[in-house]
Amino acid sequence: MESVEGSVGIVSPQDFISEEPFTFLNGESISNLTIRYETYGSLNEAKDNGILICHALSGDHHCAGFHEDAKKPGWWDNIIGPGKPIDTEKYFVISSNCLGGCQGTTGPASIDPSTSEPYNLKFPRLTIADMVKAQKLLLDHLGISTLHAAIGGSMGGMQAMQWMIQYPEIPQKVLILASTARQSTQAIAFNEVGRTAIHQDPAWHHGNYTKEKPPATGLSIARMMAHITYLSNRGLETKFGRDRRKQDPGHLTDVEFEVESYLRYQGQSFVNRFDANTYLYFSKALDTFDLYGPENDLTQAFKEVQAKVLAIGFTSDWLFPPEENQQIIQALLKLGKKASYAEIESELGHDSFLLESEHYFNTVRAFLEIK
Amino acid sequence: MTDQRKEQAKRRTDQMVISRGIQQGDKVLDLGCGRGSLLQLLIREKQVQGIGVDNDPTKVLECIRKGISVYQSDVDQALNIFPDQSFDRVILSRTIEHLDHAGNTIEQALRVGKRVTIGFINHGFWVNRLNYFLKGNRTINDVYPDPWYNSAPVTLFSLNNFEEYCHSHNIRIHERICLDGNWKNECSLFPNLLAGYVIVDISR
Repeated sequence: MESVEGSVGIVSPQDFISEEPFTFLNGESISNLTIRYETYGSLNEAKDNGILICHALSGDHHCAGFHEDAKKPGWWDNIIGPGKPIDTEKYFVISSNCLGGCQGTTGPASIDPSTSEPYNLKFPRLTIADMVKAQKLLLDHLGISTLHAAIGGSMGGMQAMQWMIQYPEIPQKVLILASTARQSTQAIAFNEVGRTAIHQDPAWHHGNYTKEKPPATGLSIARMMAHITYLSNRGLETKFGRDRRKQDPGHLTDVEFEVESYLRYQGQSFVNRFDANTYLYFSKALDTFDLYGPENDLTQAFKEVQAKVLAIGFTSDWLFPPEENQQIIQALLKLGKKASYAEIESELGHDSFLLESEHYFNTVRAFLEIK
Repeated sequence: MTDQRKEQAKRRTDQMVISRGIQQGDKVLDLGCGRGSLLQLLIREKQVQGIGVDNDPTKVLECIRKGISVYQSDVDQALNIFPDQSFDRVILSRTIEHLDHAGNTIEQALRVGKRVTIGFINHGFWVNRLNYFLKGNRTINDVYPDPWYNSAPVTLFSLNNFEEYCHSHNIRIHERICLDGNWKNECSLFPNLLAGYVIVDISR
């Protein structure tokens, strides 16, 4: 395997503040927009070595390196860095928190200047296309008019696809990982359960909860369930099996099995960093993303695509299964576009796209390196 | 010459013959494209719009490295993607002997491609007959390198078998190039006996 070297080191985010109103696809607007972002590596003279990273539902702008005093690095530090497949010695890597997010970019938890209160559910309904429009503003601000690549997994893959449709001349390459041109009914069903847990939490108050008293129970339940959909039966079996946290189970609601303890931890730690309203907005953006259009024909969406595309499916991903990634490339190939599909053997489910594996990393590296 | 060098020489001849039949700018689908060297040659020499299909992830990675559009799947699933007559040429080079129910694949290839090029090993080649007759054994050589216990299933058939198949299934053979045992020279005499490898150009 080619070298998987060091880290980008200590990084700190920046904010791009646009004083112009930002108008969403549905016509509504917000009076100004802050986009929190990080960059790694340097922009070359031709300004054409930029790689845009689009994060998934629970991700954020911090995908590589360490914040000051942090013990854990960004969520994709294994693949982004000097000498790594997304090589910060070659590329200028840009990663921003999506519009509607809660990690610094304007979202439902942000203060609406006209009311001095958080937007909460007054925040406009957002789509993947709106996220991409906001990212374009950031690129304009950075003086970047062409991207070497747009890359994303899961919800990030949807953004990457939207990039090649909305701004076909900008990304030279698009890398789509564990994604889909439209979610299955099952995926929508899971999202609905998660949303219901949130808005049925007594602390919900129609989205007008305070920072101190959010619908934490609902959000952590949503996260516990979603987390299971990101894994696989086999993966869970291997990691936890029937291991028990303690032999005497005690009360009916006490933790008995190791997997229960793990899920509770996932739920609780999520609440500390994520906003319930953002979760609703993002899950709706996932549900409503549909490139098949009214004629149920994916080729219609991709007619203007200019980028070279690679979609990667992961064998144990049952949330956005390989078939859905294949369909993206099938539509592009039917149109005579330059597109490839590769499949990675994995046991770890949807989250496989975040994990290190030799063949996967070699494939990403190779795709980014071709002329 | 070592087995590997012989194999490489054969591969080059195969590619050269196939490329002769391709027109400038043709849309080409290479089923069982391996590491993409044929498509790379065709793109370079004839500026084809090529798509490769292979089930082996290592080979698919090589195609990606070469900048070739490649679809990782078995060939039958890949053929299902494409509308009728959407390619100028569909190539099955040393692929059909590795397929289940090759007839179905050939039918689909004829549906999808205006012309189909099939390169196959002629099992009627005299060395095979000699081995069976004298020793009752399968041939092991650079063409069939793997012993029975260490090889994927392979369908063995002769040039005559193939031509009979075409005649009985309404398939036109436009061109047939037979190469000798070393796959270097063309041979026209007693091809079912003397040809080691055959490349045909067929359509409905």
